Amino acid sequence: MIIDHPLLGPRDAQEFVILGDASLIDRPDWQAEDAAQQFHDYQHLRDNPAGEHRELWFHEQGDRSWLVVTRSTLTHEVLKVELARDVAIARGRNR
Amino acid sequence: MAEFALKARAPLDGYARTFGTISLAEEAGLSLVSAAVPQGGDDALAAALAAGLGAARPATGDSALCDRYGARLLGMQPDQMFILFEAPDPDRAAETVGDALGPAAYVTDQSDSWAMLRIAGAGARAALERICMLDLDAAAFPEGRVARTVMEHLAVIILRDGTDRFLLMSPRSSARSFLHAVEVSIGNTAG
Amino acid sequence: MSGPYRIDGGAIDRGRSLAFRFDGRSMTGHPGDTLASALLANGVRLVGRSFKYHRPRGVFSAGSEEPSALVELRNGAHREPNTRATVAELFDGLEAFGQNYRGSLRHDLLAVNDLLAPFLSAGFYYKTFMWPKSFWERVYEPAIRASAGLGRLSGEADPDSYDKGFLHCDLLIVGAGPAGLAAALAAGRSGARVILADEDFVMGGRLNAETHEVNGRSGTDWAAKAVRELASMDRVRLLLRTTVVGAWDHGVYSALERRTDHLAASNGKPRQILWRIYSKRAILAAGATERPIAFGGNDRPGVMLAGAVRAYANRFAVGAGRRVGLFTNNDDGWRTAADLTARGIEVAAVIDVRDRRPLADVPGARILMGGRVTATWGRRGLKGVELASGERIALDCLAVSGGWNPNVHLTCHHGGRPLWRPEITAFVPGGGLPEGMTVAGAANGTFTTAAALAGGHRAAAAVLDGLGVSVAAGEAPGASDEAAGVSAFWHVRESRGRAWLDLQNDVTVKDVVQAHREGFRSVEHLKRYTTLGMATDQGKTANVGALAIMAEQTGRTIAETGTTVFRPPYTPVPIAAFAGRSRGREFRPTRLTPSHDWAAGQGAVFIEAGMWLRAQWFPRPGETHWRQSVDREVLQTRGSVGICDVTTLGKIDIQGRDAAEFLNKVYANGFAKLAVGKVRYGLMLREDGIAYDDGTTARLGDHHFVMTTTTANAVLVFRNMEFARQCLWPGLDVHLISATEQWAQFAVAGPNSRSLLRKIVDPEHDISNEAFPFMACGEIGVCGGTPGRLFRISFSGELAYEIAVPARYGESLMAALMAAGEEFDAFAYGTEALGVMRVEKGHAAGPELIGQTTARMLGMQRTVSKKKDCIGNILSERPEMNREDGLELMGFRPIDRSQELSAGAHFLAPGAEATMENDEGWLTSVAWSPELGHAIGLGFIRNGHARVGETVRAWDGVRGRDVPVEIVSAHFLDPDGERLRG
Repeated sequence: MIIDHPLLGPRDAQEFVILGDASLIDRPDWQAEDAAQQFHDYQHLRDNPAGEHRELWFHEQGDRSWLVVTRSTLTHEVLKVELARDVAIARGRNR
Repeated sequence: MAEFALKARAPLDGYARTFGTISLAEEAGLSLVSAAVPQGGDDALAAALAAGLGAARPATGDSALCDRYGARLLGMQPDQMFILFEAPDPDRAAETVGDALGPAAYVTDQSDSWAMLRIAGAGARAALERICMLDLDAAAFPEGRVARTVMEHLAVIILRDGTDRFLLMSPRSSARSFLHAVEVSIGNTAG
Repeated sequence: MSGPYRIDGGAIDRGRSLAFRFDGRSMTGHPGDTLASALLANGVRLVGRSFKYHRPRGVFSAGSEEPSALVELRNGAHREPNTRATVAELFDGLEAFGQNYRGSLRHDLLAVNDLLAPFLSAGFYYKTFMWPKSFWERVYEPAIRASAGLGRLSGEADPDSYDKGFLHCDLLIVGAGPAGLAAALAAGRSGARVILADEDFVMGGRLNAETHEVNGRSGTDWAAKAVRELASMDRVRLLLRTTVVGAWDHGVYSALERRTDHLAASNGKPRQILWRIYSKRAILAAGATERPIAFGGNDRPGVMLAGAVRAYANRFAVGAGRRVGLFTNNDDGWRTAADLTARGIEVAAVIDVRDRRPLADVPGARILMGGRVTATWGRRGLKGVELASGERIALDCLAVSGGWNPNVHLTCHHGGRPLWRPEITAFVPGGGLPEGMTVAGAANGTFTTAAALAGGHRAAAAVLDGLGVSVAAGEAPGASDEAAGVSAFWHVRESRGRAWLDLQNDVTVKDVVQAHREGFRSVEHLKRYTTLGMATDQGKTANVGALAIMAEQTGRTIAETGTTVFRPPYTPVPIAAFAGRSRGREFRPTRLTPSHDWAAGQGAVFIEAGMWLRAQWFPRPGETHWRQSVDREVLQTRGSVGICDVTTLGKIDIQGRDAAEFLNKVYANGFAKLAVGKVRYGLMLREDGIAYDDGTTARLGDHHFVMTTTTANAVLVFRNMEFARQCLWPGLDVHLISATEQWAQFAVAGPNSRSLLRKIVDPEHDISNEAFPFMACGEIGVCGGTPGRLFRISFSGELAYEIAVPARYGESLMAALMAAGEEFDAFAYGTEALGVMRVEKGHAAGPELIGQTTARMLGMQRTVSKKKDCIGNILSERPEMNREDGLELMGFRPIDRSQELSAGAHFLAPGAEATMENDEGWLTSVAWSPELGHAIGLGFIRNGHARVGETVRAWDGVRGRDVPVEIVSAHFLDPDGERLRG
């Protein structure tokens, strides 16, 4: 499997470690009323779609970037690769 | 004068050997310092680099030569680079970089973290082909290109600084395993 | 002359002779021979025995599809079973043996199985060995194992070496027949980066086996010229003897290159290389494999594929027989008759199942259109055939052609299914091809040479276009189209005796019919029930015929019947090639501590901790048991001073304006208020609230911290912190870099540690208790100005420090510490003493942090700050994790102080039965405390703190121990911490 790193170009997946569903970026607010429920859902409820899926991969043997890789779990086609930091910022996590 | 004096030991004790057209040698005298860019400090760092080292910051995966110390900047991560140079005082390598860049970067000495091996010669690429999954073709990995990757389960930073010259850096503690891996690759391909 | 069956011509080097032995008999062959061609040249027809019935087997094909001619190659530890003689290149001194017989190859005692055949049909094992149940282990399994398998392993370690490697290209071309060569020429001339791989030892594919002309010269010459041109191109890499065995995601292919298999000895070089090939595009030009027709007795040595018979004649200069017959259902088979006749081999009969006019006149041969072979005779080799008409013809070789199957295997490795094309009676590549793959030539069902050349050229042009490479001018090489008509004819119904489909696994037409009758009608069921296609050849010559018969039985079409799934590898790959060089000590890298060589010089015993080798203890003269060494190291440390290399702990350098806030988020306890020059213990939780790592973090400056992690979790903690930094709090200014390897770090522990360090640490640094109290840290000079760091932390519970210097000085510092410690009788201690002291002190470590451990279990619930956001904070509040009667970390000591304890023992109430319901917890760590003079243990037990003084049993069913123990505080020594603050 090849991951087309946005900064470095195509790299073998052997250099990476997979974490799983990219929804792990959306860590809930610890002070929310229903924080316990939100954290439960965040921690335990994941989609496992047959088709397009967004996953977190860590370029551990590379530039140490966390990436959001959008790929098809059916064809293994990699549709999009983004820096997870950019995704996190776009989702307002830097505020 | 202190009662006890400490003596430095290179990770591979200054290893050097020639295999036919390939030379393999430890690069023992160089210092390596990481410099991380404070958030929002890109411009400040660019200015500090220009003033302090006489260089422009390389993109991740590229390197740049500096006017001072014969240093080479290696773009390692989006917000981090390494500075490879001959420090006037190796015990103060981080301070030397810190003095040159001021508050524009967070510096950490990495000199002792890595064993450095230089492989050079016409057969170098064929040997590396056995352990390096990166494409080292001159079009894909030209002179000056640097990458962090994995070879034989070991982290390796590979820098091409000549047509048939590569600098390989791998963690100090496993340096002997890494040297063995490179030696076997040469033995399996040379001659 | 190298054998009585050798004829003129061919591509062998007659100038040199190669001596070889088969089953003890000495023979000669020539460079260019395979073992199979050399055996045939010497008149050897019986090569091995079949798997189940031990029927005689001879050479059947001339390629990697060979099901029959399997041999044990080489001697002693080099012996390799199940080697196909048809792809084993001959070398001087080669030795091979037939396999799968008891007694001798000619008189195989297990040939009795063949007489039992009526009882051994498909499903025999499933039906027979079911009962009585008690027979399975004692009777059936040993008997089956004794008779199972084909060749024998040497039983010794493989003395050869193997390697792996990585290759990159724009275009990978699989197969160097006419299509592959045409594609490679087009791509190479256009400047593309090409890898051309072929499993043979000469490129050219069928061009070398046929008498076709290309561009007005012989196919063999044209191929040789093309290969010379390709070899001269910088950007083209030719991989001979290389089989592309698997197609993986995103243009990655695996290929096995046989580097020294054709040599008498490897000469220290790897025998085989498993390549990982990264391609932008691939052209599959893998050609086609001929299939037989099933008829009675068609497994006899001498019955061969027609294309193979002419390959042996044209390329290897061998007559597969002296009186050859041809049995075909297609035009191509006739080429065998023509080629043999041209080479002076007698063709006695041409039997074509089609009722039509003969394709050609074959001088001297009976031409029997509409004919069928129903039986054969000859005990260890073919002597003749019988036809449906009752006519009997004496023959010593029958060349059979049932048509050609495109080698679609690699097109199916991503789940693609081949498509049935009735007009050529063959499966061709269907949809679902691996990304970037196109197919050309016979692999695509275009069987003629002209079409293959044109197809390869065209495929390359299209690929180059897609890659944005401009195609060099030039046309496809030309050849004339040969006749390629074929009829659907699979087996001779009128057969007498068994008609064989899978020659290696002994599957007959009758077995397929029986499978159908018993309801195993899906091809996947058919395969598993009959073992069709499950042998080392994966049924390359057998499967399609069997499918056709199943289709007949079910009344479905072959297209509806479908194929089984093709999976990698295409041909067998030795396990050794998968292992590559990762064998023995090279299985994984070894990490050495800075003091390793020093410790080795002291005779230390080492233990593997992950990839690290750590000193476990340091035996002294006179010590004969490890406990003597460890007890001494502990008492020495507690009595005076001991030194331990703790470099393996993970160290992470953390800098940034927001570093303190970041630490507040990744540690459960607070770090924001830690003063510069101080160290704090930190506990890390996972987001689900479970404790997963701990360590200390020192604040070296307002924006600068150094964290330590456990040895085992160094990589994981770093990864998680990068996740927190990049994905959870990307707005914080914080930067991480590993410093594990940068610093050599030593624990100096014991009441004399300060006195010792005063001789090492430069005098301008005041390390008195007042100036440098417990949990202080600072940057120091060591031994006259060497930069270092000092931390006043203690894992042993003693007055202790950790001192760090750049790793290059580590070994020297160890020696200096020992020298400075001489007056205090300082000794080095290893991980075992370290472990004893931490158990005595009640510190949790790996055996306690097992992925189910909560802060409460460790007695640290109050350290989890509720006033801040940190990973794991919210979910650590779950009620079940905070039950009053939950597990708590306690100490345990045997009531009878002479008794031993064992980790893993479970706690039971006195008199309680050892059941899950009665389980109250377990012992996690045990040690023998030399200071207390008895065994001690740490463990988790329900509601432990309220039960101090109570007696429970530590029950260890595995070791048969049941020891009454008292629940005590986990702090066996110095519970108030007076020593470490002293």
